[in-house]
Amino acid sequence: MFLRRLGLGTLIAARLLLAYHPALLHLQDDAQLSSPLTSYKRLLEGIFLFQNGVDPYTGGTFRHSPLLLALFSTAFPLSSTTAPIIWLAFDLLGAVSLAKIYHSRTQARDRNRNFVLVAFYLLNPYQLLPSLARSTASIENALSLLASAFACSGKSSYALLALAFLTHLSMPAVLLTLPISLLILRGPHSSLATPTAFHSWSKLIPLIAEYSIYVGILSITASSIAGGVHWSYKTWGAFLTLPDLTPNPGLWWYFFTEMFDHFRPFFLATFSIHMAIYVVPLSLKFQHDPLFAAYIILGIVGLLKPYPTLADAGLFLTLLGVFPEIYQYLRTPIVTALLHLHSSLLLPLFHKLWLSQGTGNANFFYASTLVFALANGFAILDALQAGLRVGLGTRPDGWELVQI
Amino acid sequence: MILSCDFLAAQAYSDRFTESLVIRPLEDGKVASLFTFTTLMAHASGRDPINDSEDKPQHYTIFPLSLGQILREYAITELHLTLNAGKWDYLHWGTPEDADVGSGAEMWAWMADGGADSIDSRWVGVRNAVSGLLCASLSSLSIQRTTSPLLAFPPLGDLPVIRPTNQTDASKQYHLRHASLPSEHVCTENLTPFLKLLPCKSSSGLASLLNPHKLFDADWHGMGVHVRWLERKGVEVKLTFQAVVDPVRYSPTHSRDASLGSMFDRAIEKPCPVAAESMIQVKSPTDAVFHLSPDAHMENGIAVYDLAEAEYPLDISLRWPAELSFNYLFSSVHTSAPIRVTRVLRDASQTHGRLTVSIINESNHTQYVAYLETVPWFIQFYLHTLRITVDGEPRPDLLHRLSYTPAIPHADPTVFEPIFTLPPLKALRFTMEVEKAFLRYTEHPPDAQRGWDLPPAVVLPIQNPDLPFPISPYKSQRIYTSTLLVDLPTPDFSMPYNVILMTSTLVALFFANIFNTLTRRFVWIQTAVA
Repeated sequence: MFLRRLGLGTLIAARLLLAYHPALLHLQDDAQLSSPLTSYKRLLEGIFLFQNGVDPYTGGTFRHSPLLLALFSTAFPLSSTTAPIIWLAFDLLGAVSLAKIYHSRTQARDRNRNFVLVAFYLLNPYQLLPSLARSTASIENALSLLASAFACSGKSSYALLALAFLTHLSMPAVLLTLPISLLILRGPHSSLATPTAFHSWSKLIPLIAEYSIYVGILSITASSIAGGVHWSYKTWGAFLTLPDLTPNPGLWWYFFTEMFDHFRPFFLATFSIHMAIYVVPLSLKFQHDPLFAAYIILGIVGLLKPYPTLADAGLFLTLLGVFPEIYQYLRTPIVTALLHLHSSLLLPLFHKLWLSQGTGNANFFYASTLVFALANGFAILDALQAGLRVGLGTRPDGWELVQI
Repeated sequence: MILSCDFLAAQAYSDRFTESLVIRPLEDGKVASLFTFTTLMAHASGRDPINDSEDKPQHYTIFPLSLGQILREYAITELHLTLNAGKWDYLHWGTPEDADVGSGAEMWAWMADGGADSIDSRWVGVRNAVSGLLCASLSSLSIQRTTSPLLAFPPLGDLPVIRPTNQTDASKQYHLRHASLPSEHVCTENLTPFLKLLPCKSSSGLASLLNPHKLFDADWHGMGVHVRWLERKGVEVKLTFQAVVDPVRYSPTHSRDASLGSMFDRAIEKPCPVAAESMIQVKSPTDAVFHLSPDAHMENGIAVYDLAEAEYPLDISLRWPAELSFNYLFSSVHTSAPIRVTRVLRDASQTHGRLTVSIINESNHTQYVAYLETVPWFIQFYLHTLRITVDGEPRPDLLHRLSYTPAIPHADPTVFEPIFTLPPLKALRFTMEVEKAFLRYTEHPPDAQRGWDLPPAVVLPIQNPDLPFPISPYKSQRIYTSTLLVDLPTPDFSMPYNVILMTSTLVALFFANIFNTLTRRFVWIQTAVA
């Protein structure tokens, strides 16, 4: 008990110490930790313009939600003193939500396990570094965990409201509506081993309607903050049209840098639609365990979204701690881990070689983003097949499992 | 006889053509010369875009027809175009005779609002027409370069009131479009059509000195076309050619003696008969014994030659008889410019940079300046990092007013227009972080690794910083900074097919494996007999 508290205190103190360290300020410029849509510097620029009477949504620098603009220009003014505390608070919110999700899923009162989850969330480099870079991706992660935690404990309105906020910050989160609504209806208990059909699909309609109302209300609020609806073209529109081609660890930026101009709209539409087609099949397949469906969809969105950061991969890896029942069925955990190791070394190295040293070119960094995508793809596929495999029980001697 | 006929014709249509050449020896031994050819179409005015039709009959005598048609077609009230090559050295050359010395091509126009065609479509039209007229690649001055600055480019003439309204300010009915292309260079192909706009071409008068072989060998050269409307006078077109030649470089003995013959390889054989006034002025230096031949009529220390009374062929020579060879001491520079500006973009990487500008007030009284930075969208400013210092001390109070238009990706440029207070004999320095954008591979020029030229920043000293936007009657001279070369990150241009192929393969593999796992059924099969 005392040791856990001491450990947690040390963790928080260490995080704060790191966040205030001036040598780590350059992380804010790192393209892998914050995309143009989550960058702290651009957030500061937007707030500065907003407070000085220039509409930040006329230009292309600022693409954050007006809700963040209002939050950080009034209630929580950002400065080098307050920002580390705010980001740590969001991380703690995410960590506590993660422990809450684990607790509601397993019903286990295992405080050591909770501490391990919290520590993993706070120390996972894919989460820690974006948070030190003050990327708003950390806020998005905390909100998606918060929405899931509320859904797990059956607080439908809070869950949907948190999801609506998340949708305002990052549009692809709209794809989580279906699994989160299912989660509210079916509960978080692990049913991977005992699949049962879900019959009351019509009960989803009021939940999705409620979510739409929240998004609508938040949009009206955002429009009144920004003085018009033009903010939506700059924030949500960026997810569909990819106006900023700053490199990130995702698959879109180099594809659309090198795209022929007359094919650009076609492939933009293809990539956007492709991200959405996984939602219904996964929700149907895992209708007995919607938390697991939400987990896989979260991973797929993190892999395929237009402006991902390392925080998206970090969230998927951290959430793996909630599903201990699938560990024994993972087929390629070592390959996945090695691919992640490989890409997390190559990504910053090749980024620096291309853009700072001038000794490499864009292809080097592109290649390492492909490895990173491969690592995430392997992790998602492995978790998916393990989730299906749980229901089939242990292998009897002399029998093999095949897919037909 | 010919002279008198032309005189009568000029009287009948009241068009008036004047020409002048100003020669100024510079401190560092070079010689600046400015040719000005002014044609006034009396009592004419630009087309009113609402009420006048485009096909009203027009009569032209010595006003250039091809230019007049363009002005009429697009209803341009005021048009300015400059094509310069090189960097004007304010420190050693002082203030130029003609202020618009920004490197590359620069064009701006004042147009009245209204009518069927929008301001922007007329701007595109006039840009393309003038680019055809002068054989310049002005069509590259696309929306990515077009801005409407508030202060730095006020109308030089008057703006006719086209709609009687309650507004006393006619300027509200007018719009400015400005664009500059620093990588454009002026050369012979621009000079030939330029000469065709003159009534005497290059066959007589001052224009006969415009010898491309010498002009384009000069240390700095530039041409300008300036059209404006003057109330009670008419439409005036002023064609200018400015050059800085270096006689020391031409002379085998390194003397700075110069003459029309040595500078332009020609003497004036005869005057232009339609010129109502034709003058050469030589501004004599004060630092050494200086001899001028033939003898000139002196006015306030300026030697004036009237071509109507001169003896031909006319070759003016400037000599420093006491000097055997010329040595310029760079250490003894004393500048006459009241304000000097330097601008640098420092960058450690291809993604981020820091813009540093220092504006030095050389006079011993406080001055106000409007600074204008128009950079294409691929340089994005972080305005919250703007720091203003004097002698290392932060002085945010010196920013008097700021107007800022952020850039729009793949379209509009940034317009950054602050007004600064300059303390006497101090250097104001401001820095700002900038971010360089990543371009699509089709947006890069063919020589992408060369980098991009950023247009020169403009500084305009102003008398009263509190006058309201948008236009105030500031008639002081603009100061241009040098252009900047910025290194943008480039993709690999040979990769489109490879990238499409590799990314698509990865996405397809992922898609196939997910749906393979989801749709196919798991079954147990017996592999060994129990």
